[in-house]
Amino acid sequence: MNGEISSPTMKISHLILALLLPFLAASQADKPKNWSLNGYVKNLQTLLFIEDNYLQDNLIHNRLNFRWFMNEELTFRADLRSRFFWGDLVKVNPLYGSLTDQASNDWLDLSAVLLDENQLVFHSVLDRFYLEYVKNNWEIRLGRQRVNWGISTVWNPNDIFNAFSFTDFDYEERPGSDAVRIKYYTGVASSIEVVAKGADQFEETVIAAKWAFNKWSYDFQFLAGYVMEDFAIGTGWAGNIGAAGFKGEATYFTPIAEGRTESFALSLGVDYAFTNSYYLNLGYLYNNNGSTDAGVGNLFNFQLSARNLYPYRHALFLQQSYPLNPLLSASLAIIYSPVQVNPLFLNPILTFSIKENWDIDAVGQIVFNEDEGYKSPVQAVFLRLKYSF
Amino acid sequence: MKKIFLAIIGICLGMGTAYAQLPDALEVIKKADQKLRGETSSGTMKMTIVRPSWSREVTMKSWSKGTDYSLILVTGPARDKGTAFLKREKEIWNWQPTIDRTIKLPPSMMMQSWMGSDFTNDDLVRESSIVVDYTHKNLGLETIEGYPCYKIELIPKEDAPVVWGKVLIWIDQKEYMQLKTEFYDEDNYLVNTMLGREIKSLDGRLLPTIMEIIPEEDEGHKTVIEYLSLVFDKPIKETFFSIQNMKRIR
Repeated sequence: MNGEISSPTMKISHLILALLLPFLAASQADKPKNWSLNGYVKNLQTLLFIEDNYLQDNLIHNRLNFRWFMNEELTFRADLRSRFFWGDLVKVNPLYGSLTDQASNDWLDLSAVLLDENQLVFHSVLDRFYLEYVKNNWEIRLGRQRVNWGISTVWNPNDIFNAFSFTDFDYEERPGSDAVRIKYYTGVASSIEVVAKGADQFEETVIAAKWAFNKWSYDFQFLAGYVMEDFAIGTGWAGNIGAAGFKGEATYFTPIAEGRTESFALSLGVDYAFTNSYYLNLGYLYNNNGSTDAGVGNLFNFQLSARNLYPYRHALFLQQSYPLNPLLSASLAIIYSPVQVNPLFLNPILTFSIKENWDIDAVGQIVFNEDEGYKSPVQAVFLRLKYSF
Repeated sequence: MKKIFLAIIGICLGMGTAYAQLPDALEVIKKADQKLRGETSSGTMKMTIVRPSWSREVTMKSWSKGTDYSLILVTGPARDKGTAFLKREKEIWNWQPTIDRTIKLPPSMMMQSWMGSDFTNDDLVRESSIVVDYTHKNLGLETIEGYPCYKIELIPKEDAPVVWGKVLIWIDQKEYMQLKTEFYDEDNYLVNTMLGREIKSLDGRLLPTIMEIIPEEDEGHKTVIEYLSLVFDKPIKETFFSIQNMKRIR
């Protein structure tokens, strides 16, 4: 394994060094900086309870966000995400390193397993790596970037470039797409954009356009394009009813290739912030691809995409959060599906600011279902310490 | 003799009218509002949340044009750096650089605490206006920290986006600085007191450079905003306050 990984290792470390050196030297100078570097280090402890057994897992996670403002128009950005894993899950899975590597790339190979021995895995990926050109109303990006077309809360059927599961809470930045994106701002709150994602085969690409505009104090968007063997059309909005936020998204996928089914996903959300800072968020997802009779194990193991955001046909979401004081806040998300096994997913979170730049979070993911008398077969508890810089 | 008598009466009347004829409350409020706002303003500020056993700092840059447009960029702490808020008339957007996404905020969010402080989002982006959203009454003269001030009562208009039942503002007679503000709830209980301190000249305007907001109920709690720099009336186009610029500004 070592032989195979030495070349990407070299590639990445050389690349980073080459990128950073001129800036480390330039930082001596007095003129305003034309670059920035920030990020964080996180330590995540996981306890996973399955029936009567439990697994313990550890992750040290570092993120470096680097930007070089080359001139008025050009910005280069490279973000490096590095993770060091050890624990029971690494132990039981000899392919942990290579599976992690496979899961973290798009079209280009910008990642490497830098260490995979003695049940320790160290993995690095450049999950943002792009050049951005901005002039007047134009914004053009080339390279690995996040194309985030979501406009609603919780579920985003419009997020066709990069769907994401909310159970993966530790990756808030989410993976990037290797794409070219051309965006033109037609007004202060309106734009047209076209994005094409790189791929070896046409079946794997996404090429789509989005039109966004603001009318009657609502943001609206319409999108259409080719999404991995489907033709997709979608719409989304973000506005309000009275003082409450009202948001939604819908996307319809028509298969182009043989042997695929059509798919329709719709999400609706209403949120309200009370003056005492208690926040309430209600949502609903309809996914016609979702199952009505699948077991509860599906929650942690299903093929995620914009056309399949949750494994069940219907899902109701309720999230509430409340800052107990400015340092400590509590939130609880509940997702219930009115289908055969009546699965219930609970996600309590406590967030505490220890001191400036130091945060600690306790997160629970608990799954219940009717078959097992609402005793939870799977429970996960996470403790996360974060230092931001 | 008659003349003298008339003159005395005249003086008395004059004094009387001078005493009774306080300047129009709305005019005073307009001047005070204009003083702090300018046609446009841009600046940097530091906010400190103070609690009995800890404190936290947030630094930011802000731009505003009239009451309709404002943009705030958080520059510290590291965790929140780059987060921005854009306000255009009644709409507010929030830019989250970590997830590359613009989020439209529900109007109810305006009355929430600004990043855990004793200020509301509304205080920061100034959606509600002390000029437009209230009816005004001049209650008389009082001295605050040695400055003779007009004491003005503000009662919110029926459909104004305001949570207060009543606001009292003390505005100094000479420079129209807001030196003290008391916020009352709908049951007429004092909720917050805001003090303007450290009067200095910023961009040629004499202003309190520190605003302190002190909640009435909580001993040892306060939030302090210090203006580090402020520039007034530098032309800013309305199109500066755009989603594109919110993402780009630094």
